[in-house]
Amino acid sequence: MKCYIDRVTTEHDVVTDIKLLIPDAGLRRRMSRVIKSAVTTAVECVGGIENIGSYDAIITATGWGCLTDSERFLRNIIVDKEQLLNPTPFIQSTFNTVGGQIALLNHNHCYNVTYVNRSHSFEDALLDAMMRIADGESENILVGAFDEQTPSQHRIMERMGIFRNINDGEGAVFAQIRAHRSAESIAQVTAIDFPAHSLSKQECLEKFATSENVVLMYNTYTLHGLYPTVSARCFAEATRLIQNGTKEVIVYNEYFGATPTVLRIQCVG
Amino acid sequence: MGIVVTGVGMISALGVGVDCNLVSIRKGLSGISATPKILKTGNKLPVGELQMTNDELHKLLTIQPQEHLSRTALLGIWAVREALKNANVDYSKRIGLVSSTSVGGMDLTEHFFEKFIEDDKAGRLRDVRMHDCAASTDAIARHCGINGYRTTISTACSSAANAVITGAKLLKHNIVDYVVVGGSDALSAFTVNGFKSLMILDEKHCRPFDESRAGLNLGEGAGYLVLQREEDAPLYYCHLSGYANRNDAHHQTASSAEGNGAYLAMADALKMAGMSPENVDYINAHGTGTGNNDASESAAFIRLFGNNIPPFSSTKAFTGHTLAAAGGIEAVLSVMAIKTGCLYPNLNFNTPISAYGLTPVCKYTDCTRVDSVLTNSFGFGGNCSSLLFTR
Repeated sequence: MKCYIDRVTTEHDVVTDIKLLIPDAGLRRRMSRVIKSAVTTAVECVGGIENIGSYDAIITATGWGCLTDSERFLRNIIVDKEQLLNPTPFIQSTFNTVGGQIALLNHNHCYNVTYVNRSHSFEDALLDAMMRIADGESENILVGAFDEQTPSQHRIMERMGIFRNINDGEGAVFAQIRAHRSAESIAQVTAIDFPAHSLSKQECLEKFATSENVVLMYNTYTLHGLYPTVSARCFAEATRLIQNGTKEVIVYNEYFGATPTVLRIQCVG
Repeated sequence: MGIVVTGVGMISALGVGVDCNLVSIRKGLSGISATPKILKTGNKLPVGELQMTNDELHKLLTIQPQEHLSRTALLGIWAVREALKNANVDYSKRIGLVSSTSVGGMDLTEHFFEKFIEDDKAGRLRDVRMHDCAASTDAIARHCGINGYRTTISTACSSAANAVITGAKLLKHNIVDYVVVGGSDALSAFTVNGFKSLMILDEKHCRPFDESRAGLNLGEGAGYLVLQREEDAPLYYCHLSGYANRNDAHHQTASSAEGNGAYLAMADALKMAGMSPENVDYINAHGTGTGNNDASESAAFIRLFGNNIPPFSSTKAFTGHTLAAAGGIEAVLSVMAIKTGCLYPNLNFNTPISAYGLTPVCKYTDCTRVDSVLTNSFGFGGNCSSLLFTR
């Protein structure tokens, strides 16, 4: 299985005015911070709302979903004693809100699924995309990941002792994934794996490297802080390395007590 | 490559285990009670609640109470164990799990949050460790001997149907030898209040596809299938011969009047199987009992089947709407409809919706030949999935 990557966008790459990315002012106002961040990243990645229609699958990933909305609704239930609750945070707390909103912006009726599998969420979404491509079900897929940090989540994880050696983090990453190489293709994913046990750096290279000319990104998530889909940020960094001339990158991530994930990303040349 | 169903497992307000659920349906006994008895809420609305406390579920599963699992995980463990046993799996092979949930460990988080919003040093951390969706999947895998690839899907009320679709792809790509697919959701104050705030909960027993329908009743439970490649399975219940997920792309919570997403999902599932609409023997409808869903789904039936709509019914007046689990529970019921040759009644139906004039199956019908069943699951975010099971 393999796929081509035509573009990778993180929330830091969004340069277009949000009013163009999400034209409906009411919709923008209702959206929580993470939804706004993820949807604008997605629309920036595809180059504008009008291009959403050219995708035949939208696959999103999130470990925690829309935490602010979940917290707000939970708080309202307790404080308002289950009376006269505003449904908006409940609606938006749903894990597939971002995927649904992207489809809604351009009335795209395609396959639209959300993986919520802690530190594997992004890789699971990418695997689904690669299986769809291998099955001939999709040509152009939008794959994305997002998570937000909130004061409560930070406090709870702090109490669990998780931030002793690492910072908290958050982020949104979206990628254009293609079945076939195009003029815009910047890299290709040539391996995706979910080893049952930890691998050493040496084992990663022995098992996945195809040449001497390889960069191993071994648990580089630590550079970006800890959150469930931080591995998507590593994926974005890896494609950037390829764009800058590296031939092959192995991305290995293992965090949150889960088994590791491995991606091999190569140049298209 | 053919994908076949080799095991089924289910737990719901109707009881523990597939047989118990089928007996209740055959007898016309609904699992909906007038108010929640175990869930702590001030909302006195009808729900489909399994009459067992978490402690009783821990005991039933012989899991130590100090493990403190979420209700979603407990329900899931029961149904997955039943499905694995039913399939008589060989544990030396790669067994995968694609689970789904919409509330995850929210039942425990609710306890935590009550204390936490008063004082951020308060609340027991063990009540929040199972908050995320993957925590229930992990607990299920750990307590069911699942050793292979596992993932979690959450697309609201279509979640489990999407888990079935992903599981089938994992088999086709030889990533697993067996895959357990489905979903689990416990009742929670979060969802009861959420659906109440949307004003789509019926204060009485729900009446899917009836002119007088006034909303849904929430339920809880878990439903899972074991899927295998046909060449690896000498014995099986039926084939999973078609599936599709399509988006209605109309509104974040409401379905389009034309039933676009529902129509496309059903049509694509049939197309995948190379089957024409007239060969569908039974549809297990999404049929929540809300004004919007049942109208939209009826419109989609008419678009796809014209004047020859197959026998259809919603089983949600038996189980309640079990959210992420619904697609799993209804997949189990669809498989058993083929296996036992029966059609399930749509309880509480009296008058067809005037705009569509459709009448569902109203009586339990057995000793009939059911070769193909389409089952629908639709969720927030326009998420529409259809699965097609055939003999």
